Amino acid sequence: MASRSAVPSPGRGSLARRERIFAYALLAPAVAAVFALIAYPMYLIFSMSFREGKSLNFLALHTRPFGLGNYEAVLTDSATWHSVWVSFAYTFGTILPAFLLGLGTAVVLNRSFPLRRWLRSLVLLPWAVPGVMVSIVFLWLFDASFGVTNYFLRSLGLISTDISWYTNESTALIAVIVPTLWKGYPFFTLTLLAAMQSIPGNLYEAAEVDGASAWQRFTNITWPGIRGQATLALVLNGLWVFREFDIIYAATGGGPSKTTETLGIRAYNEAFGYFYMGRAAVIGVLMLAIALVAVLLARKQLRKEFF
Amino acid sequence: MGPPRRPLAWTVAVALLCVVLLFPLYWMFVTAVLPTSQVLSREPTLLPALSDISFRAFASAFARKPLATWLTNSLLVTVGATALSLVIAALAGYSLSRFRTRAQELTGLTLLLTKMLPGSLIVIPFFIMATTFHLIDSLWALMLANAAVGVPFATWLLKGFFDGIPRDLEHAAMIDGCGHMTAFLYIIIPLARPGIAACAIYLAILSWSEFVFAKTLINDQARWTITTGMVSFIGEHGIDWSALMAAGIISMVPMIVLFLLLEPFLVSGMTAGSQR
Repeated sequence: MASRSAVPSPGRGSLARRERIFAYALLAPAVAAVFALIAYPMYLIFSMSFREGKSLNFLALHTRPFGLGNYEAVLTDSATWHSVWVSFAYTFGTILPAFLLGLGTAVVLNRSFPLRRWLRSLVLLPWAVPGVMVSIVFLWLFDASFGVTNYFLRSLGLISTDISWYTNESTALIAVIVPTLWKGYPFFTLTLLAAMQSIPGNLYEAAEVDGASAWQRFTNITWPGIRGQATLALVLNGLWVFREFDIIYAATGGGPSKTTETLGIRAYNEAFGYFYMGRAAVIGVLMLAIALVAVLLARKQLRKEFF
Repeated sequence: MGPPRRPLAWTVAVALLCVVLLFPLYWMFVTAVLPTSQVLSREPTLLPALSDISFRAFASAFARKPLATWLTNSLLVTVGATALSLVIAALAGYSLSRFRTRAQELTGLTLLLTKMLPGSLIVIPFFIMATTFHLIDSLWALMLANAAVGVPFATWLLKGFFDGIPRDLEHAAMIDGCGHMTAFLYIIIPLARPGIAACAIYLAILSWSEFVFAKTLINDQARWTITTGMVSFIGEHGIDWSALMAAGIISMVPMIVLFLLLEPFLVSGMTAGSQR
């Protein structure tokens, strides 16, 4: 890099070496953090996934017999595949409506009008609400007897008896999707708005002169301009929802009858509910494998952004 | 895109949209300030009369639960984790911005990996590590866990800000006899202040909201953070919704204020990766 040669010095070689040492010294704490956060935990998870049986003493895990028993137990358990299905239903059920809401809000905010900066902040606000608080607010909104959702539905004549959203097996998944969608849409608004703002304004002016309708401007200018960012945002937000834990855990803990038990919830319950650390690790490996497939499918977009 | 044909009408329309989108927060506030008889009603009033409003629920939330303790714990963890990951990320971000090393090629991959690792999964090794070092029930463990989670994204974000500062500035200082570290501390850091502020606020929001580590690494109720504390309201028989919503508002206000300050940086600066 040109940065080194720009500093005149008689001892070039030693300076370059000093600079390199400096560069790595600055990096060292971050490397240590990443090692503690990713490398060592991943190693522990993989090694735990081969330790069979349950153990209340986590430190004695390495003395348990070594084998593929956990993989066999987890992968032949129909409850695991049920959780895979729940995870997919939850992820897609959340990101598709969240994407449409994010796209709609981004289009609306991509104009200049009075108070825009503050209204934009308000549209994005749900992003800053902690997941467990989102969960608690929606527990109240969806309360069976006194919740305002049932009140609205009753007033509109859509229901005659109250729905107990979180304890009814057929509505529980919807009742955890709605809060996730509410917390998740601002990410789409944010990324799509940023993409829209990089589209040159004169394209729109030219379209206006040619008499293009709003819909034509959207399909011919806006959409082609944001498609790449939209794919990227879908993958990143999809990964986020796929890993989401707080909202479901606080609302239902995976119930009723496992109807909201995503892989993340299941892994946690296996580990800290039943003390099957090995099985929890296998579920974790399965989650990583699924996430990896998603990343590989979107590798073209991701490469542009991350590398 | 330019202004719409009738800008004021546009403002009104977007404001109405905000009313719909933020109804959950509005309802939280209404529930917190109304008396129980109106909260537990089959026909709730959407626009309560001003004379019915009282802030008693806020006092009763503090009286019924150790909210002050939980808020203090959250504050300690948030400040500690934010400061720690900010320092680590500023050094690393600067290094990645100015020097081409092997590590530079790995940063994207690392960031992507952290986006794939579920919190409910890495908490298992974190729990084992905390047990090994006798750090269960210690706020230090929580601080370190949150700091580690924040570092990859903060590094990536700060590298972007450092990239925008011309290299000539520190070169000029170094020609004048300044060491590289001195140039970084006294010339680059002050220039990167807006980026560092945005990054700090982002990290603070993440630590403040964190739940799975706090729930797993801390058992002692006196060391709970506000998120674990809030969730403990739920299992109770006959939830006091007014007090719960009041406590929720108290717990959210610091983050909402920070967010309103951060928001311009979010839109102008970052596109991808702002979601952990």
